[in-house]
Amino acid sequence: MIRRKNINKPLKITYDLFQRVENGDFEYIYRGNFTQTLTRKILSLAETNLQKLVDKSSLQNRIYFIMVEGLQNVTRHQDDLSGSSGDTGDTGDFSGIFAIQKKGNRYLITTGNLIVNSKVDSLKQRLERVNSLDREELKNLHREILSTGELSDKGGAGLGLIEMARRSGNKLSFDFEYVDLYWSYFYLQTEIPSRGELGIEEHDITDNESIKSIKSLNHLLSKKDILLNFNGNFNQNNILSLLSIIKGQMSMSSPAKKVYYIMVEMLQNISKHGENIEDYPDGNSGIFYLSQTEDDFILTSGNYVESSKVDVFKERLEFINELNEDELNDYFNKILLDQSAVDPQKTGLGFIDIRLKSHRKIAFDFTKVNDDYSFFTLQTSIKLK
Amino acid sequence: MKPLIIKATEDTPEIIFDPLNNVFKISNVSLPENAIEFYAPVLAWLKKYREEANPTTVFDFNIEYLNTASSKQIFELIFLIDKINQKSNVVIRWHYDKIDEDMHALGIRFTNLVNVKFEMVEYEKSILDEDQDDDDENFF
Repeated sequence: MIRRKNINKPLKITYDLFQRVENGDFEYIYRGNFTQTLTRKILSLAETNLQKLVDKSSLQNRIYFIMVEGLQNVTRHQDDLSGSSGDTGDTGDFSGIFAIQKKGNRYLITTGNLIVNSKVDSLKQRLERVNSLDREELKNLHREILSTGELSDKGGAGLGLIEMARRSGNKLSFDFEYVDLYWSYFYLQTEIPSRGELGIEEHDITDNESIKSIKSLNHLLSKKDILLNFNGNFNQNNILSLLSIIKGQMSMSSPAKKVYYIMVEMLQNISKHGENIEDYPDGNSGIFYLSQTEDDFILTSGNYVESSKVDVFKERLEFINELNEDELNDYFNKILLDQSAVDPQKTGLGFIDIRLKSHRKIAFDFTKVNDDYSFFTLQTSIKLK
Repeated sequence: MKPLIIKATEDTPEIIFDPLNNVFKISNVSLPENAIEFYAPVLAWLKKYREEANPTTVFDFNIEYLNTASSKQIFELIFLIDKINQKSNVVIRWHYDKIDEDMHALGIRFTNLVNVKFEMVEYEKSILDEDQDDDDENFF
Protein backbone atom coordinates (compact mmCIF):
# COMPACT_ATOMS: atom_id res chain seq x y z
CA MET A 1 0.00 0.00 0.00
CA ILE A 2 1.20 3.46 -0.86
CA ARG A 3 0.92 5.97 1.93
CA ARG A 4 -0.57 9.23 0.85
CA LYS A 5 1.26 11.86 2.77
CA ASN A 6 0.53 14.71 0.46
CA ILE A 7 -3.19 15.08 0.12
CA ASN A 8 -2.93 18.15 -2.10
CA LYS A 9 -2.21 16.30 -5.30
CA PRO A 10 -5.44 14.44 -5.83
CA LEU A 11 -7.51 17.58 -5.37
CA LYS A 12 -7.70 18.20 -9.10
CA ILE A 13 -9.48 14.93 -9.76
CA THR A 14 -12.44 16.23 -7.76
CA TYR A 15 -13.31 18.64 -10.54
CA ASP A 16 -12.93 15.88 -13.14
CA LEU A 17 -15.28 13.66 -11.19
CA PHE A 18 -17.70 16.52 -10.66
CA GLN A 19 -17.84 17.31 -14.35
CA ARG A 20 -19.19 13.85 -15.09
CA VAL A 21 -22.57 15.05 -13.97
CA GLU A 22 -24.58 17.91 -15.38
CA ASN A 23 -26.60 20.31 -13.32
CA GLY A 24 -29.93 18.83 -12.33
CA ASP A 25 -28.64 15.29 -12.80
CA PHE A 26 -27.04 13.18 -10.15
CA GLU A 27 -24.77 10.29 -9.60
CA TYR A 28 -24.63 8.37 -6.39
CA ILE A 29 -22.07 5.64 -6.04
CA TYR A 30 -21.29 3.35 -3.18
CA ARG A 31 -18.36 0.96 -3.13
CA GLY A 32 -17.71 -1.51 -0.40
CA ASN A 33 -19.46 -4.10 1.64
CA PHE A 34 -23.19 -4.39 1.30
CA THR A 35 -25.29 -5.15 4.35
CA GLN A 36 -29.05 -5.09 4.60
CA THR A 37 -28.98 -2.01 6.78
CA LEU A 38 -26.82 -0.23 4.26
CA THR A 39 -29.02 -1.39 1.40
CA ARG A 40 -32.00 0.11 3.13
CA LYS A 41 -30.22 3.46 3.60
CA ILE A 42 -29.14 3.53 -0.02
CA LEU A 43 -32.71 2.87 -1.07
CA SER A 44 -33.97 5.64 1.13
CA LEU A 45 -31.43 8.09 -0.27
CA ALA A 46 -32.43 7.17 -3.79
CA GLU A 47 -36.09 7.36 -2.87
CA THR A 48 -35.75 10.91 -1.55
CA ASN A 49 -34.11 11.93 -4.77
CA LEU A 50 -36.58 10.10 -6.93
CA GLN A 51 -39.60 11.61 -5.25
CA LYS A 52 -38.27 15.04 -6.06
CA LEU A 53 -37.20 14.27 -9.58
CA VAL A 54 -39.73 11.84 -10.86
CA ASP A 55 -43.32 12.90 -10.91
CA LYS A 56 -44.71 9.63 -12.20
CA SER A 57 -45.06 7.12 -9.44
CA SER A 58 -45.07 4.19 -11.87
CA LEU A 59 -41.61 5.23 -12.96
CA GLN A 60 -40.53 5.62 -9.35
CA ASN A 61 -41.73 2.11 -8.65
CA ARG A 62 -39.86 0.69 -11.60
CA ILE A 63 -36.63 2.37 -10.62
CA TYR A 64 -37.07 1.27 -7.05
CA PHE A 65 -37.78 -2.32 -8.01
CA ILE A 66 -34.70 -2.52 -10.22
CA MET A 67 -32.54 -1.02 -7.48
CA VAL A 68 -33.76 -3.60 -4.99
CA GLU A 69 -33.08 -6.45 -7.43
CA GLY A 70 -29.63 -5.10 -8.23
CA LEU A 71 -28.67 -4.61 -4.60
CA GLN A 72 -29.93 -8.07 -3.70
CA ASN A 73 -27.78 -9.49 -6.46
CA VAL A 74 -24.70 -7.87 -5.01
CA THR A 75 -25.39 -8.99 -1.45
CA ARG A 76 -26.11 -12.51 -2.65
CA HIS A 77 -22.82 -12.77 -4.50
CA GLN A 78 -21.08 -11.25 -1.56
CA ASP A 79 -22.23 -14.19 0.52
CA ASP A 80 -20.53 -16.41 -2.03
CA LEU A 81 -17.30 -14.59 -1.42
CA SER A 82 -17.28 -14.98 2.30
CA GLY A 83 -18.19 -18.64 2.00
CA SER A 84 -15.66 -19.52 -0.62
CA SER A 85 -12.11 -20.51 -0.05
CA GLY A 86 -11.11 -18.94 -3.33
CA ASP A 87 -8.02 -16.87 -3.54
CA THR A 88 -8.74 -13.31 -4.60
CA GLY A 89 -5.23 -13.11 -5.94
CA ASP A 90 -3.74 -9.70 -6.26
CA THR A 91 -7.02 -7.88 -6.22
CA GLY A 92 -7.70 -8.32 -2.54
CA ASP A 93 -10.73 -6.21 -3.28
CA PHE A 94 -14.09 -7.68 -2.46
CA SER A 95 -15.86 -4.38 -2.94
CA GLY A 96 -19.16 -4.39 -4.68
CA ILE A 97 -20.38 -1.27 -6.38
CA PHE A 98 -23.81 0.26 -6.69
CA ALA A 99 -24.54 3.31 -8.78
CA ILE A 100 -27.65 5.21 -9.62
CA GLN A 101 -27.33 7.95 -12.19
CA LYS A 102 -29.77 10.35 -13.68
CA LYS A 103 -28.74 11.59 -17.09
CA GLY A 104 -31.31 13.83 -18.64
CA ASN A 105 -34.37 11.68 -19.09
CA ARG A 106 -32.64 8.41 -18.40
CA TYR A 107 -31.98 6.59 -15.18
CA LEU A 108 -29.12 4.13 -15.06
CA ILE A 109 -28.72 1.58 -12.33
CA THR A 110 -25.45 -0.28 -12.24
CA THR A 111 -24.15 -2.95 -9.93
CA GLY A 112 -20.81 -4.63 -9.92
CA ASN A 113 -19.40 -7.53 -7.99
CA LEU A 114 -16.89 -10.33 -8.16
CA ILE A 115 -18.05 -13.71 -9.33
CA VAL A 116 -16.11 -16.93 -9.75
CA ASN A 117 -14.98 -17.59 -13.30
CA SER A 118 -16.69 -20.96 -13.42
CA LYS A 119 -20.07 -19.20 -13.22
CA VAL A 120 -19.42 -16.63 -15.91
CA ASP A 121 -20.56 -18.73 -18.86
CA SER A 122 -23.89 -19.80 -17.42
CA LEU A 123 -24.65 -16.26 -16.27
CA LYS A 124 -23.73 -14.87 -19.66
CA GLN A 125 -26.03 -17.39 -21.32
CA ARG A 126 -28.89 -16.43 -19.04
CA LEU A 127 -28.37 -12.74 -19.77
CA GLU A 128 -28.17 -13.35 -23.49
CA ARG A 129 -31.30 -15.40 -23.36
CA VAL A 130 -33.17 -12.64 -21.51
CA ASN A 131 -31.91 -10.09 -24.03
CA SER A 132 -33.00 -12.21 -26.99
CA LEU A 133 -36.63 -12.23 -25.90
CA ASP A 134 -39.27 -9.64 -26.63
CA ARG A 135 -41.80 -8.42 -24.10
CA GLU A 136 -44.31 -11.13 -24.71
CA GLU A 137 -41.68 -13.86 -24.59
CA LEU A 138 -40.27 -12.48 -21.34
CA LYS A 139 -43.72 -12.58 -19.84
CA ASN A 140 -44.19 -16.18 -20.93
CA LEU A 141 -40.79 -17.24 -19.62
CA HIS A 142 -41.54 -15.56 -16.34
CA ARG A 143 -44.82 -17.44 -16.07
CA GLU A 144 -43.18 -20.70 -17.09
CA ILE A 145 -40.49 -20.45 -14.42
CA LEU A 146 -43.08 -19.60 -11.79
CA SER A 147 -45.24 -22.57 -12.66
CA THR A 148 -42.50 -25.16 -13.11
CA GLY A 149 -40.58 -23.86 -10.15
CA GLU A 150 -37.45 -24.18 -12.17
CA LEU A 151 -35.08 -21.78 -10.49
CA SER A 152 -31.45 -21.12 -11.00
CA ASP A 153 -29.09 -22.42 -8.37
CA LYS A 154 -28.59 -18.89 -7.10
CA GLY A 155 -31.99 -18.42 -5.54
CA GLY A 156 -33.98 -17.03 -8.40
CA ALA A 157 -31.43 -14.83 -10.08
CA GLY A 158 -32.96 -15.94 -13.35
CA LEU A 159 -36.31 -14.49 -12.38
CA GLY A 160 -34.64 -11.32 -11.14
CA LEU A 161 -32.99 -10.72 -14.49
CA ILE A 162 -36.23 -11.32 -16.36
CA GLU A 163 -38.04 -8.89 -14.13
CA MET A 164 -35.34 -6.25 -14.49
CA ALA A 165 -35.60 -6.49 -18.25
CA ARG A 166 -39.39 -6.40 -18.13
CA ARG A 167 -39.69 -3.46 -15.81
CA SER A 168 -37.04 -1.35 -17.50
CA GLY A 169 -38.42 -2.11 -20.93
CA ASN A 170 -34.83 -2.40 -22.02
CA LYS A 171 -32.14 -4.92 -22.70
CA LEU A 172 -29.73 -5.54 -19.87
CA SER A 173 -26.21 -4.30 -20.41
CA PHE A 174 -23.49 -6.37 -18.86
CA ASP A 175 -19.82 -6.93 -18.86
CA PHE A 176 -17.42 -9.44 -17.37
CA GLU A 177 -13.98 -8.23 -16.54
CA TYR A 178 -11.35 -10.86 -16.01
CA VAL A 179 -9.59 -10.33 -12.69
CA ASP A 180 -7.48 -13.41 -12.20
CA LEU A 181 -7.62 -17.18 -12.52
CA TYR A 182 -10.43 -17.42 -10.03
CA TRP A 183 -12.44 -14.21 -10.24
CA SER A 184 -14.16 -11.96 -12.70
CA TYR A 185 -15.89 -8.69 -12.03
CA PHE A 186 -19.47 -8.66 -13.22
CA TYR A 187 -21.14 -5.38 -14.21
CA LEU A 188 -24.85 -5.21 -14.79
CA GLN A 189 -26.58 -2.08 -15.96
CA THR A 190 -30.23 -1.33 -16.49
CA GLU A 191 -31.42 1.77 -18.24
CA ILE A 192 -34.85 3.11 -17.46
CA PRO A 193 -36.16 5.74 -19.82
CA SER A 194 -38.37 8.23 -18.04
CA ARG A 195 -40.27 9.20 -21.16
CA GLY A 196 -42.07 7.20 -23.75
CA GLU A 197 -43.54 3.78 -23.62
CA LEU A 198 -42.16 0.67 -22.09
CA GLY A 199 -40.57 -1.70 -24.51
CA ILE A 200 -38.27 0.58 -26.42
CA GLU A 201 -36.09 -2.29 -27.36
CA GLU A 202 -33.84 -0.64 -29.87
CA HIS A 203 -31.54 0.45 -27.07
CA ASP A 204 -28.12 -0.33 -28.47
CA ILE A 205 -26.18 -2.49 -26.10
CA THR A 206 -23.35 -3.33 -28.43
CA ASP A 207 -21.75 0.06 -28.01
CA ASN A 208 -22.47 0.81 -24.42
CA GLU A 209 -20.71 3.97 -23.40
CA SER A 210 -22.28 4.22 -19.98
CA ILE A 211 -21.19 0.79 -18.81
CA LYS A 212 -17.68 1.61 -20.04
CA SER A 213 -17.81 4.86 -18.17
CA ILE A 214 -18.89 3.15 -14.95
CA LYS A 215 -16.10 0.61 -15.39
CA SER A 216 -13.46 3.28 -15.70
CA LEU A 217 -15.03 5.20 -12.85
CA ASN A 218 -14.97 2.09 -10.66
CA HIS A 219 -11.26 1.67 -11.41
CA LEU A 220 -10.62 5.28 -10.53
CA LEU A 221 -12.68 5.14 -7.34
CA SER A 222 -10.93 1.95 -6.35
CA LYS A 223 -7.50 3.46 -7.04
CA LYS A 224 -8.40 6.45 -4.88
CA ASP A 225 -9.97 4.22 -2.22
CA ILE A 226 -13.28 6.03 -2.56
CA LEU A 227 -16.12 4.40 -0.66
CA LEU A 228 -18.93 6.77 -1.30
CA ASN A 229 -19.46 9.42 -3.89
CA PHE A 230 -22.41 11.74 -4.25
CA ASN A 231 -22.40 14.06 -7.18
CA GLY A 232 -25.46 16.18 -7.73
CA ASN A 233 -27.52 18.86 -6.10
CA PHE A 234 -27.18 19.21 -2.37
CA ASN A 235 -30.09 20.10 -0.14
CA GLN A 236 -30.87 19.29 3.48
CA ASN A 237 -32.83 16.19 2.45
CA ASN A 238 -29.96 14.59 0.55
CA ILE A 239 -27.56 15.59 3.25
CA LEU A 240 -29.55 13.84 5.96
CA SER A 241 -29.75 10.67 3.86
CA LEU A 242 -26.02 10.70 3.19
CA LEU A 243 -25.37 11.22 6.88
CA SER A 244 -27.61 8.37 7.82
CA ILE A 245 -25.77 6.08 5.39
CA ILE A 246 -22.49 7.00 7.03
CA LYS A 247 -23.94 6.54 10.48
CA GLY A 248 -25.32 3.13 9.57
CA GLN A 249 -22.17 2.00 7.88
CA MET A 250 -19.45 3.02 10.28
CA SER A 251 -18.93 1.35 13.57
CA MET A 252 -19.29 3.65 16.53
CA SER A 253 -15.83 5.00 17.12
CA SER A 254 -14.14 8.26 17.82
CA PRO A 255 -12.89 8.72 14.22
CA ALA A 256 -16.33 7.82 12.87
CA LYS A 257 -17.87 10.57 15.00
CA LYS A 258 -15.35 13.05 13.65
CA VAL A 259 -16.07 11.99 10.08
CA TYR A 260 -19.75 12.58 10.74
CA TYR A 261 -19.23 16.04 12.24
CA ILE A 262 -16.96 17.16 9.44
CA MET A 263 -19.28 15.76 6.80
CA VAL A 264 -22.09 17.85 8.24
CA GLU A 265 -20.00 21.01 7.89
CA MET A 266 -18.79 20.20 4.39
CA LEU A 267 -22.19 19.18 3.05
CA GLN A 268 -24.06 22.09 4.59
CA ASN A 269 -21.37 24.39 3.30
CA ILE A 270 -22.27 23.29 -0.23
CA SER A 271 -25.98 23.57 0.29
CA LYS A 272 -25.77 26.99 1.97
CA HIS A 273 -22.92 28.67 0.18
CA GLY A 274 -22.36 26.83 -3.07
CA GLU A 275 -23.31 28.42 -6.36
CA ASN A 276 -25.02 27.07 -9.42
CA ILE A 277 -23.77 27.97 -12.83
CA GLU A 278 -27.17 27.31 -14.29
CA ASP A 279 -30.35 28.08 -12.45
CA TYR A 280 -31.46 25.11 -10.48
CA PRO A 281 -34.05 25.47 -7.77
CA ASP A 282 -33.41 22.43 -5.64
CA GLY A 283 -30.03 22.56 -3.97
CA ASN A 284 -26.57 23.60 -5.09
CA SER A 285 -24.54 21.41 -7.36
CA GLY A 286 -21.52 19.83 -5.81
CA ILE A 287 -19.67 16.67 -5.08
CA PHE A 288 -18.73 14.87 -1.92
CA TYR A 289 -16.71 11.73 -1.52
CA LEU A 290 -15.31 9.74 1.31
CA SER A 291 -12.21 7.63 0.92
CA GLN A 292 -10.38 5.35 3.25
CA THR A 293 -6.67 4.63 3.13
CA GLU A 294 -4.61 2.51 5.44
CA ASP A 295 -4.25 5.38 7.93
CA ASP A 296 -7.02 7.84 7.28
CA PHE A 297 -10.52 8.66 6.30
CA ILE A 298 -10.32 11.36 3.66
CA LEU A 299 -13.23 13.72 3.10
CA THR A 300 -13.42 15.78 -0.05
CA SER A 301 -16.04 18.23 -1.22
CA GLY A 302 -16.28 20.41 -4.28
CA ASN A 303 -18.61 23.16 -5.40
CA TYR A 304 -18.76 26.35 -7.44
CA VAL A 305 -17.99 29.69 -5.87
CA GLU A 306 -18.03 33.12 -7.44
CA SER A 307 -14.63 33.88 -8.93
CA SER A 308 -14.76 37.34 -7.39
CA LYS A 309 -14.81 35.76 -3.90
CA VAL A 310 -11.91 33.38 -4.45
CA ASP A 311 -9.30 35.72 -3.00
CA VAL A 312 -11.32 36.26 0.16
CA PHE A 313 -11.83 32.52 0.64
CA LYS A 314 -8.18 31.80 0.00
CA GLU A 315 -7.09 34.41 2.47
CA ARG A 316 -9.46 33.09 5.11
CA LEU A 317 -8.37 29.48 4.62
CA GLU A 318 -4.70 30.39 4.64
CA PHE A 319 -5.23 32.43 7.79
CA ILE A 320 -7.03 29.54 9.50
CA ASN A 321 -4.36 27.07 8.35
CA GLU A 322 -1.64 29.22 9.90
CA LEU A 323 -3.22 29.20 13.37
CA ASN A 324 -1.98 26.76 15.97
CA GLU A 325 -4.32 24.81 18.22
CA ASP A 326 -4.44 27.47 20.96
CA GLU A 327 -5.05 30.25 18.49
CA LEU A 328 -7.80 28.22 16.84
CA ASN A 329 -9.48 27.75 20.20
CA ASP A 330 -9.23 31.46 20.98
CA TYR A 331 -10.68 32.32 17.61
CA PHE A 332 -13.53 29.84 18.10
CA ASN A 333 -14.36 31.45 21.46
CA LYS A 334 -14.16 34.92 19.98
CA ILE A 335 -16.81 34.01 17.42
CA LEU A 336 -19.00 32.46 20.12
CA LEU A 337 -18.80 35.60 22.23
CA ASP A 338 -19.26 37.98 19.33
CA GLN A 339 -22.93 38.91 19.37
CA SER A 340 -22.64 40.50 15.94
CA ALA A 341 -21.39 37.29 14.32
CA VAL A 342 -24.89 36.34 13.34
CA ASP A 343 -24.08 33.77 10.71
CA PRO A 344 -21.11 31.83 12.07
CA GLN A 345 -20.54 30.16 8.72
CA LYS A 346 -19.60 33.51 7.26
CA THR A 347 -16.98 33.94 9.94
CA GLY A 348 -15.29 30.68 9.08
CA LEU A 349 -16.41 28.85 12.23
CA GLY A 350 -16.99 25.73 10.16
CA PHE A 351 -13.40 25.75 8.88
CA ILE A 352 -12.03 26.35 12.36
CA ASP A 353 -14.08 23.48 13.65
CA ILE A 354 -12.80 21.20 10.87
CA ARG A 355 -9.21 22.11 11.76
CA LEU A 356 -9.75 21.52 15.47
CA LYS A 357 -11.44 18.17 14.96
CA SER A 358 -9.04 16.86 12.33
CA HIS A 359 -5.87 18.28 13.95
CA ARG A 360 -4.67 18.94 10.42
CA LYS A 361 -4.42 21.73 7.93
CA ILE A 362 -7.17 22.00 5.39
CA ALA A 363 -6.18 21.22 1.81
CA PHE A 364 -7.95 23.31 -0.78
CA ASP A 365 -7.89 24.24 -4.43
CA PHE A 366 -9.61 26.76 -6.66
CA THR A 367 -9.93 25.99 -10.35
CA LYS A 368 -11.15 28.79 -12.52
CA VAL A 369 -14.09 27.69 -14.65
CA ASN A 370 -14.86 31.04 -16.25
CA ASP A 371 -14.81 34.72 -15.30
CA ASP A 372 -17.81 34.30 -13.05
CA TYR A 373 -17.24 30.96 -11.39
CA SER A 374 -14.48 28.86 -9.92
CA PHE A 375 -14.54 25.34 -8.60
CA PHE A 376 -13.60 25.09 -4.95
CA THR A 377 -12.27 21.81 -3.59
CA LEU A 378 -11.83 21.21 0.10
CA GLN A 379 -10.19 18.21 1.66
CA THR A 380 -9.39 17.01 5.12
CA SER A 381 -8.67 13.73 6.80
CA ILE A 382 -9.20 11.92 10.07
CA LYS A 383 -6.78 9.43 11.50
CA LEU A 384 -8.20 5.92 11.73
CA LYS A 385 -5.96 5.35 14.76
CA MET B 1 -45.45 30.00 32.75
CA LYS B 2 -46.40 27.77 29.81
CA PRO B 3 -43.87 25.04 29.05
CA LEU B 4 -41.92 25.06 25.81
CA ILE B 5 -42.21 21.72 24.06
CA ILE B 6 -40.63 21.15 20.66
CA LYS B 7 -40.69 17.70 19.13
CA ALA B 8 -37.55 16.26 17.59
CA THR B 9 -37.23 16.03 13.83
CA GLU B 10 -34.58 14.35 11.74
CA ASP B 11 -32.36 17.40 12.07
CA THR B 12 -33.59 19.36 15.08
CA PRO B 13 -33.56 18.43 18.76
CA GLU B 14 -36.34 17.71 21.17
CA ILE B 15 -36.74 20.54 23.63
CA ILE B 16 -38.67 20.31 26.85
CA PHE B 17 -38.60 23.37 29.10
CA ASP B 18 -41.25 22.69 31.70
CA PRO B 19 -41.05 24.92 34.81
CA LEU B 20 -44.03 23.28 36.53
CA ASN B 21 -42.40 19.85 36.55
CA ASN B 22 -38.96 21.40 36.72
CA VAL B 23 -37.73 19.55 33.65
CA PHE B 24 -35.41 21.33 31.24
CA LYS B 25 -33.78 19.32 28.52
CA ILE B 26 -32.49 19.39 24.98
CA SER B 27 -31.84 16.06 23.31
CA ASN B 28 -31.18 14.24 20.01
CA VAL B 29 -29.43 15.96 17.14
CA SER B 30 -29.13 19.58 16.11
CA LEU B 31 -28.22 19.93 12.45
CA PRO B 32 -30.63 22.51 11.04
CA GLU B 33 -29.54 24.53 8.05
CA ASN B 34 -30.92 27.60 9.69
CA ALA B 35 -30.00 27.33 13.36
CA ILE B 36 -30.81 30.97 14.10
CA GLU B 37 -34.39 30.50 13.00
CA PHE B 38 -34.78 27.28 14.97
CA TYR B 39 -33.36 28.63 18.22
CA ALA B 40 -35.03 32.06 18.10
CA PRO B 41 -38.23 30.96 19.93
CA VAL B 42 -36.15 28.97 22.42
CA LEU B 43 -34.09 32.04 23.26
CA ALA B 44 -37.25 34.16 23.51
CA TRP B 45 -38.80 31.65 25.92
CA LEU B 46 -35.68 31.62 28.12
CA LYS B 47 -35.63 35.40 28.30
CA LYS B 48 -39.11 35.29 29.78
CA TYR B 49 -38.26 32.41 32.08
CA ARG B 50 -35.39 34.48 33.45
CA GLU B 51 -37.95 36.85 34.97
CA GLU B 52 -39.73 34.11 36.90
CA ALA B 53 -37.19 31.31 37.23
CA ASN B 54 -37.64 28.42 39.67
CA PRO B 55 -35.35 28.59 42.70
CA THR B 56 -33.35 25.72 41.22
CA THR B 57 -33.10 24.81 37.54
CA VAL B 58 -31.14 21.92 36.05
CA PHE B 59 -30.62 22.08 32.30
CA ASP B 60 -29.81 18.78 30.63
CA PHE B 61 -27.98 19.16 27.32
CA ASN B 62 -27.96 15.72 25.79
CA ILE B 63 -27.13 16.29 22.15
CA GLU B 64 -25.74 13.50 20.04
CA TYR B 65 -24.59 15.55 17.06
CA LEU B 66 -24.55 19.23 16.30
CA ASN B 67 -23.29 21.47 13.53
CA THR B 68 -21.24 24.60 14.15
CA ALA B 69 -24.22 26.82 13.36
CA SER B 70 -25.99 25.11 16.29
CA SER B 71 -22.94 25.40 18.58
CA LYS B 72 -23.18 29.16 18.24
CA GLN B 73 -26.90 29.12 19.10
CA ILE B 74 -26.43 26.64 21.96
CA PHE B 75 -23.87 29.04 23.35
CA GLU B 76 -26.45 31.84 23.11
CA LEU B 77 -28.73 29.65 25.24
CA ILE B 78 -25.97 29.00 27.74
CA PHE B 79 -25.16 32.69 27.83
CA LEU B 80 -28.77 33.39 28.81
CA ILE B 81 -28.80 30.55 31.31
CA ASP B 82 -25.72 32.14 32.84
CA LYS B 83 -27.80 35.28 33.40
CA ILE B 84 -30.61 33.27 35.02
CA ASN B 85 -27.93 31.89 37.31
CA GLN B 86 -27.42 35.37 38.73
CA LYS B 87 -30.94 35.24 40.16
CA SER B 88 -31.51 31.61 40.99
CA ASN B 89 -29.58 28.42 41.38
CA VAL B 90 -28.74 26.84 38.01
CA VAL B 91 -26.78 23.79 36.92
CA ILE B 92 -26.02 22.67 33.37
CA ARG B 93 -25.55 18.94 32.90
CA TRP B 94 -23.57 18.38 29.71
CA HIS B 95 -24.04 14.81 28.49
CA TYR B 96 -21.55 13.35 26.04
CA ASP B 97 -20.77 9.99 24.52
CA LYS B 98 -17.60 8.44 25.95
CA ILE B 99 -16.06 8.13 22.48
CA ASP B 100 -16.98 11.67 21.48
CA GLU B 101 -13.99 13.77 22.49
CA ASP B 102 -15.29 16.71 20.49
CA MET B 103 -18.60 16.90 22.33
CA HIS B 104 -16.67 16.71 25.58
CA ALA B 105 -14.34 19.48 24.38
CA LEU B 106 -17.28 21.68 23.44
CA GLY B 107 -18.73 21.32 26.95
CA ILE B 108 -15.39 22.25 28.46
CA ARG B 109 -15.14 25.21 26.09
CA PHE B 110 -18.51 26.49 27.28
CA THR B 111 -17.68 26.08 30.98
CA ASN B 112 -14.66 28.33 30.46
CA LEU B 113 -16.75 31.09 28.93
CA VAL B 114 -19.49 31.36 31.56
CA ASN B 115 -19.88 31.17 35.33
CA VAL B 116 -22.81 28.80 35.62
CA LYS B 117 -22.00 25.45 37.16
CA PHE B 118 -21.38 22.63 34.65
CA GLU B 119 -21.54 18.92 35.36
CA MET B 120 -19.96 16.76 32.69
CA VAL B 121 -21.91 13.52 32.34
CA GLU B 122 -20.28 10.74 30.36
CA TYR B 123 -22.36 7.93 28.91
CA GLU B 124 -21.68 4.93 26.73
CA LYS B 125 -23.81 4.89 23.65
CA SER B 126 -23.19 1.21 22.99
CA ILE B 127 -24.94 0.38 26.24
CA LEU B 128 -27.87 2.73 25.71
CA ASP B 129 -28.43 1.70 22.13
CA GLU B 130 -30.80 -1.16 21.83
CA ASP B 131 -29.40 -1.88 18.58
CA GLN B 132 -28.55 -0.30 15.29
CA ASP B 133 -27.72 -3.43 13.50
CA ASP B 134 -30.88 -5.00 12.36
CA ASP B 135 -29.12 -6.95 9.72
CA ASP B 136 -30.73 -10.21 10.57
CA GLU B 137 -34.16 -8.81 10.10
CA ASN B 138 -35.73 -9.70 6.82
CA PHE B 139 -36.06 -6.46 5.01
CA PHE B 140 -37.13 -7.44 1.53
